[in-house]
Amino acid sequence: MSAILQVQGVTKDFGGLRANDNISFSVEKGELLGLIGPNGAGKSTLFNCIAGVHPVTAGRIFFEGKEITNLKPHQVARLGLARTFQIFVASGDLSVLENIMVGSFLRTRSRKIARQKAEEILVFMELQEHVDQWVSELPVAAQKRVAMATALATQPRMLLLDEVAAGLNPTEIDQMMGLIRQIHDDRGITVVLIEHVMELVMNLSQRVIVLESGKIIAEGKPEAIKQNPEVIKAYLGERYVAKIAEAEGKA
Amino acid sequence: MGAFTSGMIQSIVSALLMGMVFALVALGLTIIFGVMNIVNFAHGEFLMVGMYACLLFSTMTGLDTLASLPFAAIVGFLLGVMCYYGLVKYLLRGPMIAQLFGTFGLMLLLRNLALLIFGSEPRIAHHGILVGRSFVIGHGIVLEATKLTAAGFSIILFLTVSWILNHTKVGKALTATALNAEAARYMGIPTERMNALAWGIGGATVTICGALLVNFWPVDPNIGLLFTMIAFATVALGGFGNIKGAFYAGIIIGFLIYIPTFWDTTTMAIGDKALRGIHLFSFKYTFVYLAYFLIMVFRPHGLFGIKE
Amino acid sequence: MEVIRNIFDLSDIPRKDLTVFGIFSLFLLIFPLIPHSSFAMATMIEFLMFSLYGMGWNTIGGYGGQVDLGKAQYAGIGAFTTAVMLIHWNIPFWISAPVGMIFAIIWSFAIGYPLFRMRGHYFAIATIATSLVLLDVFQSWNFVGAAKGLELPLKSMPSLLYLQFRSDTYYYYILLFLFFFGFFYINWFRKSRLGFQLRAIKDNEEVARSLGINVHWCKIKTYAIATSFVAVVGSFHACYNFNIDPEDIMSLDLSILIAMMAMVGGAGSLWGPIIGAAVLIPLKSYLGSWLGGKEGLAGLDLVIYALIIMIIAAFEPRGIWGIVEKARKRGKI
Repeated sequence: MSAILQVQGVTKDFGGLRANDNISFSVEKGELLGLIGPNGAGKSTLFNCIAGVHPVTAGRIFFEGKEITNLKPHQVARLGLARTFQIFVASGDLSVLENIMVGSFLRTRSRKIARQKAEEILVFMELQEHVDQWVSELPVAAQKRVAMATALATQPRMLLLDEVAAGLNPTEIDQMMGLIRQIHDDRGITVVLIEHVMELVMNLSQRVIVLESGKIIAEGKPEAIKQNPEVIKAYLGERYVAKIAEAEGKA
Repeated sequence: MGAFTSGMIQSIVSALLMGMVFALVALGLTIIFGVMNIVNFAHGEFLMVGMYACLLFSTMTGLDTLASLPFAAIVGFLLGVMCYYGLVKYLLRGPMIAQLFGTFGLMLLLRNLALLIFGSEPRIAHHGILVGRSFVIGHGIVLEATKLTAAGFSIILFLTVSWILNHTKVGKALTATALNAEAARYMGIPTERMNALAWGIGGATVTICGALLVNFWPVDPNIGLLFTMIAFATVALGGFGNIKGAFYAGIIIGFLIYIPTFWDTTTMAIGDKALRGIHLFSFKYTFVYLAYFLIMVFRPHGLFGIKE
Repeated sequence: MEVIRNIFDLSDIPRKDLTVFGIFSLFLLIFPLIPHSSFAMATMIEFLMFSLYGMGWNTIGGYGGQVDLGKAQYAGIGAFTTAVMLIHWNIPFWISAPVGMIFAIIWSFAIGYPLFRMRGHYFAIATIATSLVLLDVFQSWNFVGAAKGLELPLKSMPSLLYLQFRSDTYYYYILLFLFFFGFFYINWFRKSRLGFQLRAIKDNEEVARSLGINVHWCKIKTYAIATSFVAVVGSFHACYNFNIDPEDIMSLDLSILIAMMAMVGGAGSLWGPIIGAAVLIPLKSYLGSWLGGKEGLAGLDLVIYALIIMIIAAFEPRGIWGIVEKARKRGKI
């Protein structure tokens, strides 16, 4: 396996605030990587730096061997690196299918081909029943799937998913897990997840990176991360570490 | 002192005085923008209302135009508050495009109501203790009493508004609303009333300005657009919502508008025939429009603004 | 082949709408044949002109959501190009109109590039500023007649080449041809790649960028499309009126009127500009002529106009078409 994404010493300052501090990691081709950390750890900022939304303060980023540091977001997307947004602002003017078509138009000028591609992804993302609805009319879970479908329609080789399971109920989380697995396994797309829903990250990820205060504090297999006291401390604070250990002991 | 020097000093003084007047035109716009992030396309029309209000008051009562200032202020305040409750409140619920077109409709309405009521011929104040009076301060340099008074009021109003915003309870509530309307609401500040107040104060300052302006600038129903553009350029230059910035920016705008005068004085002194053949007076306001355009492209947070 | 099919593809539009549009088109086609006053004819020509202006504006203003209040400058470029080319070199309309369009597009790129670094109100005001700058330039530029404007020389014989006719009916049919051309172009545009990308931009620029859309460039391209429409109608205006002056063809009033067609009719919909022009232009004409005769009522027509805009802006920003669609959702139509 070779690295599809290499992040080398990325630092991002907002005014006096350091959101990302010298972050380095790489993602292997075909990997499914989880990126976790408490709120404000700098996960979304990192996504935004990779996707070109924010220029980085220092460091370099490579995608498939090409340097993408400080490229514009649309240039990054054209290279085959797609992403979703944490807050998906519902589209007022376009139906579900049309939204997905906006994505598929990246690779074709033909309306017919764009539509075919969009319809295929629509079915894949289990959105058939919503085809002609406005996105704003959909339940949250379906809106998240539209966001993913739109990103998928740009035919990326790598997909950055920003909290796609937030606000979903257990059934919907199961469905989402199945879909992400299919995107990864069947379509061969490298996936990086930012997620707070631990069940989803720990079940899906082959490897997990933990961010806290803009730094990587741990990295490894999900099972190892779950046991990592640093991580538990970062998430829950000191006094919970003992509690969790106690609970685990009972189980 | 040579003709060139005194000509230059005269132009600088005039530009400075007019600049302060332009700053006063823009004061209301920047207050409204600062508090609620909405632009008022009818701002120049508010000025026009002030000008007509002054004329109407002084003809009906026979009093001096200066006496009409309180009347103009009340008219402006009521106009602002009415516009807020009658229109702007509803516009805020819609998309940005609705705000634009709503205040734009207001501009059309005021402009054509003025046409309907006053007709299209320009009017100006003919009497009053200020009108036609001027001070000669030597070397042929003249200060017109009307402009001097207007500039003086500009300084007074800027200081008053700054003081109100910084030192009174109402002012602090306004500032809080400007910083974060939602947070202000949680703190128990009636933000809706604060918005209306911003429109009221904004309206009053600009109508006062109109009442001062009509002493030396003729009013007609179409005068608004020019002043709206001047006010926008000023506010853009000073940074949207920045009151101190607006004052300095107004002075810069004053100098921009006097570019043709400076040019004439200079070419006259050089005496070059070809240069004197170039007349910039038809481009008097072009520099203002260009200033807006350039500032928005290169310094969108204003000349003195800090980049976010 | 696919393009041609797409141009005439109206399959996503409800049957009822198509029927109404069909009947309306038929009326437009036979209008000159039914008895009418010359005033009615002039109004119809103005309606067609403003539909076309509105269609152009609707691309960038409606589908793209960028409120452009400086469109008159491009009408001026079109009109003056046609006039100057005719006066100085005797060049016919069918050549001067495309040339005017090219000039207008070049100018639109030159100012569009910096303009679209701004958004929202700032953009809208900047479009006014650019338009006023160009107006000031034209008003003191002797080659284009400065403030007096230009008068087009009359040909001794009516001429299709120079677009000079004795009867308004010919002008009407030329415009009607342009009207249908414009309509089907917009029908293609709204579902083209650019159309889709533009609508995505209007909703959320950040998301649009993440989908590989070059937002800035898309806006500039669309701005040029809107400009082409306006410039051609401007050229037509010169031939139809014989007399153009910058104060008239490049005024803010015209810019505003252009924007209003789509705004009142329904910005971002295929029918918006047509509905807007069909409502506003007859209203303006008839109200104007009715009130114009009455002493001291000048301006009342525009007062009514202003009230319409304010009400629309406050209660239904999506215009008349928005009202229709709302009613339809409730199942009334």
